[in-house]
Amino acid sequence: MWAITLKKLDEMKFFGADINAQKIEVLKSIPIFHELTHKEILDVEELLHERIYEKDEIIFEEGDPGHGIFIVVSGKLRADPNHKLLKNTVLDFGPGELVGELSLFDEAPRTAKVVAIERTVTVALFQAEFSSLLLKNKSIGTKVLVEIARTLSCRARQLLLQERHVPSL
Amino acid sequence: MKPFPHPGAITLLVVILITCALLFLLQKMTWFVVPVLLALMLYYCVRPVMRALVDLGMRHKTAAKLVWLLLQIVTATSLLAVGLLTVAKAGTWQSDLGRYVAAGQALLLKTAGALERVVPIFQSMNLATQIDQNVHQLTNQFAEEKLLPIFLQSLRWLPSLLLVPYFIYFMLNDSDRLKKYIVKSVPNAFFEKALLLFARLDTSLQNYFQGLLLLTLLDTTCLGLGLVVLGIHNPIWLGLAAAVLAWIPYVGSVIGCILVVLIAATDFPEKTWTPCLCLALFLGVRALDDFVFLPLTIGRKLRVHPLLSVLMLFLGATVAGTTGLMLALPLFGIVSVIGETISHVVTDRKLRARYRAARQLVLSHESV
Repeated sequence: MWAITLKKLDEMKFFGADINAQKIEVLKSIPIFHELTHKEILDVEELLHERIYEKDEIIFEEGDPGHGIFIVVSGKLRADPNHKLLKNTVLDFGPGELVGELSLFDEAPRTAKVVAIERTVTVALFQAEFSSLLLKNKSIGTKVLVEIARTLSCRARQLLLQERHVPSL
Repeated sequence: MKPFPHPGAITLLVVILITCALLFLLQKMTWFVVPVLLALMLYYCVRPVMRALVDLGMRHKTAAKLVWLLLQIVTATSLLAVGLLTVAKAGTWQSDLGRYVAAGQALLLKTAGALERVVPIFQSMNLATQIDQNVHQLTNQFAEEKLLPIFLQSLRWLPSLLLVPYFIYFMLNDSDRLKKYIVKSVPNAFFEKALLLFARLDTSLQNYFQGLLLLTLLDTTCLGLGLVVLGIHNPIWLGLAAAVLAWIPYVGSVIGCILVVLIAATDFPEKTWTPCLCLALFLGVRALDDFVFLPLTIGRKLRVHPLLSVLMLFLGATVAGTTGLMLALPLFGIVSVIGETISHVVTDRKLRARYRAARQLVLSHESV
């Protein structure tokens, strides 16, 4: 079950693995990292975990304990919530958008099932590592938190106005 | 980070069995275990310094290198100072050792004589004479038979201690990256659980080592103050030595106590009550340790029930002797965290189903 494939081992350029300029550009294009400097992006990159999901693969299910957020780099995710407030709403998340941001603050159970509707590359930020980042580097923490708060307020406003297409930054 | 609920009986049993098996294996490779433990302890001590440097704007790698360099300078300076002191005072220490042993012997005989006067059965047993003969035999044999093996054993250990700086450098510089690349190999379904496991392991180890250092500080303070009141020479150093020896549960405390009682008996040969007061001080600090300090520091931080801690210490001692005593609690803490996580994964049907479905998807995409 936990077997490390040769391909993955090959991807693990373990010692001296430097992130390339292209990766930095990709991260910089994500709205919550817009305000970060080059050095700050490098610090954040150390905490991000890249995950690739195939089409129809479940990212998480409703009721799962939430331990972090997923940021879509490429591809598309779809949320399927059971909550009456979110019935009949289309919850698609494209590049640059956040999924599961509520669990960054209280580790509450996930409120919806999220599935990849096409091959999707995401980067995940784990709750404990995010907390340590807030303590370690207040400048990065503040910038990222402000962007997450902006996303949350935008989504809350759209929910209150009962808009059909909720997520947008 | 929310703690896991306490594990069920089967998980607990498996965790205890695995801990015992690991202790048995690890006692065979103390040359590796001791440097790793030392490195971990130092790593958790200096990590806050490194984080402070990063907070001040330094790059992670630069901060790691600087902290490592400072640590090496401090260690090298300390070793040099100890070496010079040893060379300068070797002669005095040798004669002091003889004096301490003789004073301890005299104290034992005095106590045995007093016991013979109070309890007649001891008189008929010739307690004092027997103790005298045994101690003579022990001291003579110790010098002839035990000293050389101990010296050779320490020589065998020295090269392995050279691994400590290497381990610390690796931990400071690459531990986050290593974690990231291990997590990368975990299937998507278990990815969050794996991250949680790493975070919990890190917290458990950090809590254990920081708790141990806090406990050492508290023990040193209490013993040092007590020895100051009793008028013993070098009270703080003696307190510190006894507190560090107490890292080996029970055995270490007894050795620390004997050390201080011997010094008290040498410093005050006429006052029998001073060594007795030292003994009482040790028993008092031991009681404080077991009932106040230990539950407040290590016990609380590792979330191990006191009864279970004692059970693990006994099992550790039975399976792996002194190594087992030292490693039982931290190892049990680590195996508990891993066991709890695995039991959550194994009992979560939804999660396993998701893994199987994801695997099917990957296979079907690969075949296409």
